[in-house]
Amino acid sequence: MKKRVLASFFLSLSLMLSACSGGGSAPAGDSKPRSEGASQTEGKSELIVAVDQEPVGYDPHKVPAASSARVYSLVYDSLTKLDANLDLVPGLAESWETAPDGKSITFHLRKGVKFHNGQEMTAEDVKYTFERILNPDTGSIAKSYFASVDTIEVPDPATVVFKLKTPDAAFLTNASASSASIVPKGSTDLTKEANGTGPFILEKSEPGQYVLLKKNPDYFNKELPKVDAIKFQIMKDEAERMAAIRAGKIDISAVSADSAKLLEGKPGIQIKSYQSLEYSYLGINVKKKPFDDPRVRQAISYAVDRNQIVQTVWKGEASVTGPIAPALTSWALDPSSYPSYTPNVEKAKRLLAEAGYPNGFDTVIETASTYPDMVESAQIIQQHLKAIGINAKINQLEWGNYIDTWKSKDMNMMVGRNTSGVDSDRSMRYFFSTTGSANVWNYSNPKYDELVQKALETVDVQERKKLYDEAQKLLVEDAPNLFLASPKNFYAVRDNVDFSPTAAGESTALVRASVKK
Amino acid sequence: MGSYLIKRIISLIPILVGISILVFTILHLVPGDPASIMLGTEATPEAVAVLRAEMGLDKPLISQYLHWAGGLLQGDFGVSVHTGEEILPQILKRFLITLQLTIMAVVIGWTLAIPFGILSAIRSHSKTDKVIRILTLLGISVPNFAIGTLLLLGLSLYFNWFPPIDVVHFWDDPAEAFKVFILPAVTMGIVVAAGVMRMTRSAFMETMDKDFIRTARAKGNSQWTVVMGHALRNSSIPIVTIAGMQIGYLLGGSVIVEQLFSIPGLGQYVLDGIYQRDYPVVQGGVLFVALVFVLVNLIIDLIYTWIDPRIKY
Repeated sequence: MKKRVLASFFLSLSLMLSACSGGGSAPAGDSKPRSEGASQTEGKSELIVAVDQEPVGYDPHKVPAASSARVYSLVYDSLTKLDANLDLVPGLAESWETAPDGKSITFHLRKGVKFHNGQEMTAEDVKYTFERILNPDTGSIAKSYFASVDTIEVPDPATVVFKLKTPDAAFLTNASASSASIVPKGSTDLTKEANGTGPFILEKSEPGQYVLLKKNPDYFNKELPKVDAIKFQIMKDEAERMAAIRAGKIDISAVSADSAKLLEGKPGIQIKSYQSLEYSYLGINVKKKPFDDPRVRQAISYAVDRNQIVQTVWKGEASVTGPIAPALTSWALDPSSYPSYTPNVEKAKRLLAEAGYPNGFDTVIETASTYPDMVESAQIIQQHLKAIGINAKINQLEWGNYIDTWKSKDMNMMVGRNTSGVDSDRSMRYFFSTTGSANVWNYSNPKYDELVQKALETVDVQERKKLYDEAQKLLVEDAPNLFLASPKNFYAVRDNVDFSPTAAGESTALVRASVKK
Repeated sequence: MGSYLIKRIISLIPILVGISILVFTILHLVPGDPASIMLGTEATPEAVAVLRAEMGLDKPLISQYLHWAGGLLQGDFGVSVHTGEEILPQILKRFLITLQLTIMAVVIGWTLAIPFGILSAIRSHSKTDKVIRILTLLGISVPNFAIGTLLLLGLSLYFNWFPPIDVVHFWDDPAEAFKVFILPAVTMGIVVAAGVMRMTRSAFMETMDKDFIRTARAKGNSQWTVVMGHALRNSSIPIVTIAGMQIGYLLGGSVIVEQLFSIPGLGQYVLDGIYQRDYPVVQGGVLFVALVFVLVNLIIDLIYTWIDPRIKY
C-alpha cells in the first residue's frame, strides 16, 4: 500500500516533469546532457566524471589535494611516468641513464613537445621546474622527494643532468609524480591558469559546478587521449552520484564499497575495482606513557584482529597490510610473515603485565568524523583493546581539527589513512624515519633510519628489496603504527565507456578511457 | 515613514559591525588552520609556514581584522585564500542561484499552504482538517535530506529521470531551469508549506471568532466574501511574519538541499569555506547573509503598514 502511494506520487511528479520537458524520461543510453560549455556535435566524445570535492587551485607544486591533482595531472606531464602496472615508462624524458656511482642522472627529453600556449618545452623548463620545487619560498610538498639534488645542469636544450649529493633509488619514480609536473620557465602564479604539455587543456572552471578539460590536439602521444573532453562534475552527495549514474547523466563515478554492491548488476552500469595504495592505520605516540614501552605497543598489535576490520569496515573488500601497501606487489611483504598479525589475547595480556600494566589503562583514540571508515575502525579497535584491559575513549574530530592534532605530535593513539606512495622510500622513510616529514609519532630507531637510508642509496633492485624486507619487519615489531587494511577502490562506469582504473591512479586510466561507438 | 526608514538603515551599521567582529572572532577561535588543511598530512612545517605567510595569516589578528574591515568599507570582500578568487562576484553569482531556488520553493510552499491552511481553519476539527494537520506535522518532522534523497532516488530508480546536472538560470532557459530547480524547490517547499500552513490555520481561527466576522456574516455575505474579503487581510500579519523569517533563512542558502542536489548556492559556498577554513569566504558570506536577512525583515515591517493601515512608524 505504502509503496503504491509512493509510486503514484513519483508518477504524478514525473508526469508533471515530462509534461514540461516535452520529452519524457529518456532512455539511459542517449540521455547525454546538453551543457552550455561543451558542444555535443556528431562524433565528439565527452566523458562526465563525478567528483566529490571541488579543486582548490591548480598549482601542481603547491596543492597536494586529490581534488586538484586529478585535474593538473591531466594538464601537465612529468619527466617519467608510471604505466597501469606501476612500471616506470618514459614521460617528457624519452630516455635516461644513471651514472655508475648513482650520483648523476641524465634525462634526454622528447623533441618538439609544446606547451598548450604553443611554446616549445626545453631543458630550461625542466631546470626551472625543479628549482621552483626546491625553492623553500614555493613551499612545495615535493621538495622532500628531491632532497638529494645538488645541482641541475643543461648541456643542450634536450638534455638535463641532475647531480646528486647521494645516490637516490627513488628519484626516477618520484619524478613521475604529478607534484613534479614540468611547468614553463618563468611561471609564477599557477593557481588559476594552467599551461602544461599534458593530454588535456584546462578549458573552463566553474566554481561549485564543474571543471572542463579539452583534448590537446598536439599531444606528443598521437594515440592519446581517446576522448575529446572530460568534464569533472562536482557532486558532493553519494546518493546523488548514484542516482545520476543510474540515469546515465554521468559516465564515471568513484563509489564506496557499499554503493558498489548496490549498483552491481544494474542495467547500463559496470563496476570496476582495484587494490588501492591506501591503507588505514592506528598510530601510536611512542613518546607518551605508557606507549613508550615497546611491549605495550606489541600487546596492542596482538590484541587487534585486522581481519575483522577487513570484514566489518570494508565488507571484505580490502587486504590486511604491512607498512608497504599490498598493491606494490614486488615490495610488500606477505602480512602472514608478521607474528603479531595473528591475534593472541593471552600473549597481549602477558606483554602488558611485563610492561607493568597488568590491569590495563585508560587512553584516547582520536579519529576523523568526516570518514566513517576511520570511525568504524576505531570502534573495532576499542572493543579489541577492551579484551586486554585497555579502556580507550574514541574522540571524533572534525577534519581541520584532526589535522591539527595529527601535527601536534602530542596525541595518544590515532586512527587514520595513508597513501603508501608508488616507491617504498615514501612508504618507509617519509613516514617513519626520525627526520621523516610525516613521522608525527616521535618514532626514532637508528637501526631503522640506517636501513631505509641505505635502501634509498641502493640502486640494485634485489639489494634494495632485501633492505626494505628487513625494515618492514623491524617496523612492525617496533609498532609505532599498526598497519590495518588496504581497501579496494570502486568505480561505477556506464556500459558504453571503456575505463580501467588501477593503482596507478585515475588520470592514467582517464587518458586511455574511450567511449564505445 | 521616511525618517523611520532612515533610522532603520542607520541601525544596520552597528548590527553589521557587530556581526563582522563576531564572525571574525569565532572563526579564528575554531581549531584548524587553512594552510595545514590545504597541505593535508603531507605538509612539512616550512611548507605550511610559507603558505600561511602567503595567505597573510602570520600577521596579528587585530591587523588581519582591520585589513579585512578596511577592504569591506571600500566594497572589497577580498579573495579566497585557497583559489585566489574574488569573493564578492562569487557571492553575488551564488546568491542569484539561491534566490531563484528560494522564490520557487516559496511559491510552491505558499500555493500549498495558504489555501489548505484556510480550509483547515474554516472546517476546523472536521476530517479534512485532521488530514491536513497530519500532513503538516509530517512536513515539519521529516527532515529535508530524507525528502530530497527519496525524491532523487525514487525518480531515478523508477522513472530513470534525473535533473539536468548543470545549473541554468530562469532568464536564460526557463524550461531547463525549471527542471534543475524543481526537486530542491519541492524539498524546501514542503518545509515552507508546513510552517506557513500551521500559522495560517491558527491566525484564521482566531480571526473567524472576531466580532467583525460575525457582523460580516450577519450582513448576509457569502462564506467566500467573508473569508477572502474580511478574514484574509486581518489574519495576514502573523503569516507574513513567519513567511519573512523563512525567506530570510532560505536566502542564506539551504546547505543540505544545495549539497544533495549539487546546487552551487550561497549555503554551499559558505560551508565549503568553513571546511577549508577559508576565512575571508566565510566572513564575507556570513556578513552578506546577515545583510540580506536584516533587509528582508525591514521589507516585511514595511509590508505591515500596507496590510494594516493602523500600523504607523
